[in-house]
Amino acid sequence: MKLLVLCLLVAISSPALAEEAKNNPSSTNSLKTNPVVNISPAANDNPVESADAWLKRLSHSLNTLNFSTSFVVVKNNHAEPYHWFHGINKKGEKLEILSLLNGARRDVLRKDNVISYIEPELPPYSILSTALRGPIPNVLSGKIESLAAAYNFNLVGKSRILGRISQLIRIVSKDSDRYSYWLWLDQKTGLLLKMAVATRKGQLLEQVQFTHLEISENPAESLQQLQSTELPKILEIPKGYQKQKLQWQVNWLPEGFVQMNSNRHHISATKQLVEFALFSDGLVDVSVYVTPSKEERAVDFVMDGATVALNQAIKGIEVSVVGKIPSQTAKRIADSISLQATAPQPIKP
Amino acid sequence: MSESKFETVSSLVDSYQANDELFDEIVKDSQLSDTWDRYHLIGDVMRDEVPDAINIDLSLNIAQAIADEPTVLAPVSRVSITEAVKAKVVQFAKPFGQLAIAASAAGLMVIGVQQNVAENESFSPNQVVQTNPFGGIAEPVSLNYQQTNKVSQKQAFVEQQRRFQALLQDHQQQIKFTVPAALDAESATEAEDTPK
Repeated sequence: MKLLVLCLLVAISSPALAEEAKNNPSSTNSLKTNPVVNISPAANDNPVESADAWLKRLSHSLNTLNFSTSFVVVKNNHAEPYHWFHGINKKGEKLEILSLLNGARRDVLRKDNVISYIEPELPPYSILSTALRGPIPNVLSGKIESLAAAYNFNLVGKSRILGRISQLIRIVSKDSDRYSYWLWLDQKTGLLLKMAVATRKGQLLEQVQFTHLEISENPAESLQQLQSTELPKILEIPKGYQKQKLQWQVNWLPEGFVQMNSNRHHISATKQLVEFALFSDGLVDVSVYVTPSKEERAVDFVMDGATVALNQAIKGIEVSVVGKIPSQTAKRIADSISLQATAPQPIKP
Repeated sequence: MSESKFETVSSLVDSYQANDELFDEIVKDSQLSDTWDRYHLIGDVMRDEVPDAINIDLSLNIAQAIADEPTVLAPVSRVSITEAVKAKVVQFAKPFGQLAIAASAAGLMVIGVQQNVAENESFSPNQVVQTNPFGGIAEPVSLNYQQTNKVSQKQAFVEQQRRFQALLQDHQQQIKFTVPAALDAESATEAEDTPK
């Protein structure tokens, strides 16, 4: 065997190869079966890209780059255009502006951990939080790997989005109780170029299509103006407000959902008092509303893009479930609710 | 041009004379036809029959306007230059073309939204949602039942739409109000004391 390799090496008379063969005796086998790999060491410089690596890169880019971008959220039969500025100031604080461009003004401003919402329903307010809530899931700029328990990350293929080469990554739920998220990421910067919420059969329910992307060295001018702007007063959420005890519990939720909030409040539009709980699996938020009801109503639901709102009133309780989940899942959650007549206990996450 | 001819034109305007030969002469002679026009105008003014805007000679104005119109033609002399830099132009045109496509896509979508808003306005203030009967659960309704309860059904439908709209809105609001656990850690201990 060794003699054969030696003869081969002499025949090729390549000093580099000879040296490699000498340093690594085990390579004799691979040299024989697959010589191409050893002759072109450049191939080793590009490690096989994984979906995890792409998502980590997305998260890093969303946190570190200064960009101004426009995108359109496409739902059933309508579209909402947004403008989004993102930047990091010299102190390392995040500055963000997210504006809805059609209809009544809806702006979200962010200076570090102060997030201000300017909306038609309420006077402007600020909230102390680590994430701005908009059409793009927060988890994309956070710990995406935390989704690995409930979702698989699949590397699909390359395509052209926004005039750039993009890599399609699918975040696919491990069970059939949730939708999948498709992300098209820019090959050059790792940023998001397109996003879609899809059913398991591949039907797109909601899409976010970026229509413009500009990356700059320094934060955009409007962000620098924001820095000197005084934001609305910070809304103080009373201690324990989001951990109130409820008189009911949800007995079934898809794997990985954790309770984020439980409180009693009035729905502002209908003035109805509800007991409310918010659950999240990191990617999807699901709200559950429970209130006593005198009338009986069969189950009914509407779809706003990927968001379902399901409502039913049976046996004296009205239950509503809202979130980006299939209607079957919402129905199952609603049906799993049981009242706790005595000794109410908080739902175990 | 003799003075008498103007007099004949004048009398012609006032319908004192009718002479075919004279008409021919007036049409041929620009000075005479101008005079004819003017005399008629004077008559119109005296009878208070003038239109708001007097256009003395429409045909002349139009001819003038056509003459003033810039000629829309591609400059012929530049062709050779364009060809010489064609390769570069293609390179430049590419990114701009993509931008234009993106912009036009946005434009299309924006138009779509405006139409949609207009359609929905009569129905409810915000973008809503059509109800779907839940698969297999929707109850079969008889024809009689539908007729007698048509009004109340419609009311129930509107009420249901309003309820869904309120839910979708409140869902968004609650997501915004929900502070991440890390920032809410201090309140966790207080949870036990929360009054009902």
